[in-house]
Amino acid sequence: MENLHNVYLEEVEDLFSRIEESLLLLEKSPDDPALIAEVFRSMHTLKGSSSMYGSNKVADFVHNLETIYDRVRGHEIDLTQPIIDATFKSLDHLKKIVQSPDIPDPIDAKYHEKLTADILGLLDEYSGGATIVKSENTSRKSTYFVSFIPDKNIFANGTNPLLLVDELRDLGASRVYTKISKGLTSKEADPKECHTSWDFILVTEEDENPIKDVFIFVEDTSKITIEKVADVDLLSISEFTSKLPSNDLNAKPPTLKEIKKWASAIPKDILERVAEEVALNEEVDDTDKDEKLQRSHTQEEAITSIRVSSDKLDELMNQVSELVTTQAGLSLYAENNFDPLLNAIADNVEKLSRQLRDIAFEMTLIQISNLFRRFNRVTRDISTQLGKSVKFITEGGDTELDKKIIDSLADPLMHLIRNSLDHGIESREERIKLGKPEKGTIKLSSYYSGAKVYIQIEDDGRGIDAQKIREKAITNRLISKDDDLTEKEIYDLIFMPGFSMAKEVTDISGRGVGMDVVKKNILDIRGDISVESKVGKGTKIILGLPLTLSVIDGLLVKVEATSFIVPLVDIKKCFEIKREELSNDFNELITLEDEKIPYLDLRKEFLIKDDNPPEKASIILLENEENKIAVCVDSIVGEYQAVLKPVGKYYRNQEFVSGATILGDGSIALVLDAYKIIARKIVKQKKSA
Amino acid sequence: MRSIEEQEHENEAMESYLSFKLDDEFFAVDVKKVIEILEVPGITSIPLSPDYMAGVINLRGKVLPLIDTKVKFGLDPIEFTVDTCIVVIEIEVEGEVLQIGTLVDAVLEVLEVPQSSIQPSPSIEAKYRLDFIRGMIRREEDFIMLLNLDEVFSIQDVMYMQEANETMSSEELTEK
Repeated sequence: MENLHNVYLEEVEDLFSRIEESLLLLEKSPDDPALIAEVFRSMHTLKGSSSMYGSNKVADFVHNLETIYDRVRGHEIDLTQPIIDATFKSLDHLKKIVQSPDIPDPIDAKYHEKLTADILGLLDEYSGGATIVKSENTSRKSTYFVSFIPDKNIFANGTNPLLLVDELRDLGASRVYTKISKGLTSKEADPKECHTSWDFILVTEEDENPIKDVFIFVEDTSKITIEKVADVDLLSISEFTSKLPSNDLNAKPPTLKEIKKWASAIPKDILERVAEEVALNEEVDDTDKDEKLQRSHTQEEAITSIRVSSDKLDELMNQVSELVTTQAGLSLYAENNFDPLLNAIADNVEKLSRQLRDIAFEMTLIQISNLFRRFNRVTRDISTQLGKSVKFITEGGDTELDKKIIDSLADPLMHLIRNSLDHGIESREERIKLGKPEKGTIKLSSYYSGAKVYIQIEDDGRGIDAQKIREKAITNRLISKDDDLTEKEIYDLIFMPGFSMAKEVTDISGRGVGMDVVKKNILDIRGDISVESKVGKGTKIILGLPLTLSVIDGLLVKVEATSFIVPLVDIKKCFEIKREELSNDFNELITLEDEKIPYLDLRKEFLIKDDNPPEKASIILLENEENKIAVCVDSIVGEYQAVLKPVGKYYRNQEFVSGATILGDGSIALVLDAYKIIARKIVKQKKSA
Repeated sequence: MRSIEEQEHENEAMESYLSFKLDDEFFAVDVKKVIEILEVPGITSIPLSPDYMAGVINLRGKVLPLIDTKVKFGLDPIEFTVDTCIVVIEIEVEGEVLQIGTLVDAVLEVLEVPQSSIQPSPSIEAKYRLDFIRGMIRREEDFIMLLNLDEVFSIQDVMYMQEANETMSSEELTEK
């Protein structure tokens, strides 16, 4: 039962967010029939699942809402702001009561009744003045004459003209006349040639283009004539159809001229009557179509996506990595055993496992729109609370990221958007005074660039004054008066832990509350964050994120017998040196390209027994925004694509190891966290100083 | 002819324990907690970890932390012989079920013992921490100590030892 409840909650959660998303769009374009249909459908499903789960209170509640949207859909009532507001309120309430559908809390129960009454009130208000509005864009049916004379050699291309005929008939009601080339006797006829041609009288809602599209691949060689005969459905007019010859091979098919003549001979009043009938049938047609749409919609969904628990995906990834590892072993064995057959098999296995790996990796990615959707609603609520009017735009929602990254982005993004709303965007009056558009804009966008995904939060608010930050940082003793900082460095100050903006500065910029936490969260998923801002114009915050947490490009290095992976993104350069160059230096500084850089010898640092260090060593230059550190290892093996695996809670204190990966021979390499290694060195330096 | 006692045992629920050896002492763990027994593969040690954390191994694509049970029990570090085994067990840590590998000198057998024959551990013999031992099973001449796994391998303990280690190493540093 518990499990059932979870499934139910998961499903309704999904429906809620879908309804919310559509409603937000509907606020902008309240007439969009597709959106209204979507809301109605989702409510319908919500009602269905609720009563199936047994929460009748929820089902009854949704039923009333559904009725409203049914009427909106049927053009009986217009979708007004009060309806949308009431729906939002109801959704919030529903979210609460689905947790415990019996509504045990008396306050909730009271609210439940009030909302129900509100909705019924809305229903009454509108159903009184219900009128049937004729939709304006009544789809007009037209009658076309189409003649299709295929090229004699059409079969040689593998084209079956009958399929084209069928395709054309799918466009609408039709009469088809088949013609056989004149004077053709069965003796002369070459069975490999096409001697048949077709004439159609086609009634369709489409214009000429879809008809042309049917013949798109044969239009160069075959003779095709398309001509509009009338703007009405001629085939439904008996005065017209009675003149048409019967549909058998011996009857003489009507020519275009004849058809036109018959069409013009139809009395005007009959034409008008037909047109009216069409308009009246519209209503029925529309609901019909909606139902069809709904059916096709649900069908599509059932086929295109399935729910899989993330545990299962993790397990799949494990198995795939294991397969890749096993395959590396097989390839190695095949290479050493000069057996051509074995070699071929090994190659094949390698190819297959690589494909499988790519597919499995792709499966763990989800679209960032899942996350963006959440902010839509929040922005709406907060801006109403603050009495500001804000346009929230999202772009690039189809960008895909590892699920784990998306999960850990929710909080920091929330924080940044709230900051923009609260401190960035000015009040309506202020914006008018400044000559800015009354509505503020916050744009949340994401895009790929190189091996990274970028997320931007951009507002057109008041911006951050770099000078003020500088002053503040000096009073907070984060920097000294004489420090010469670039603009970027100044903006980076707002991510410092000690940088909390006091009230008087809040009026000008106000950011900085908890920004250090935001930065920490982003660093935790191996991302970076930066700020660009212009006073009076707005602020842009850019997050750079790795595509996935599960695979990283790294450099495989060795220290004694242990393999380590250093993430490639953090590496600036590599050098080869003689070990004695290090041992002579007391300050632990090494000169690389005329620059003195502090170094960390991993042999010493990791207390590896110093029996017989190799003469040569390699230096890896690590760099983050602030520091450069040289790390000394025994040797560099090469680049390696590492599948990251956690080393587990037992090694929680060895935080410089961010994970482990399994190498081709089945042994394990430790993935180093460059940031933590740099931090380690900095702490050491400070201690010794 | 079976004795009455044995018959009584028959009716009682029998429990299975896997017994193993550390130095010359016998220990046993609940079979339900044992996932598998492995030969010792290549071990990757993690720098600066506590002594009893022996490193990690590749268990079919998973990274399995390895504990030197002997160091954990205050004995000398394990020496690898043909008999050395890794017993993969499942324990509950901070509300999460984890798998860890424990290094033992030799795996012996699976014992079927009735619940009633498990004796409480004598409180006099304080050679091992008492909360580690759930009870004793008498087997001919020997006593087999039944381990309380969740307690033996709890992370809090790991963290505690870790801190002790770090203070020690930093003290060493200052001495230097």
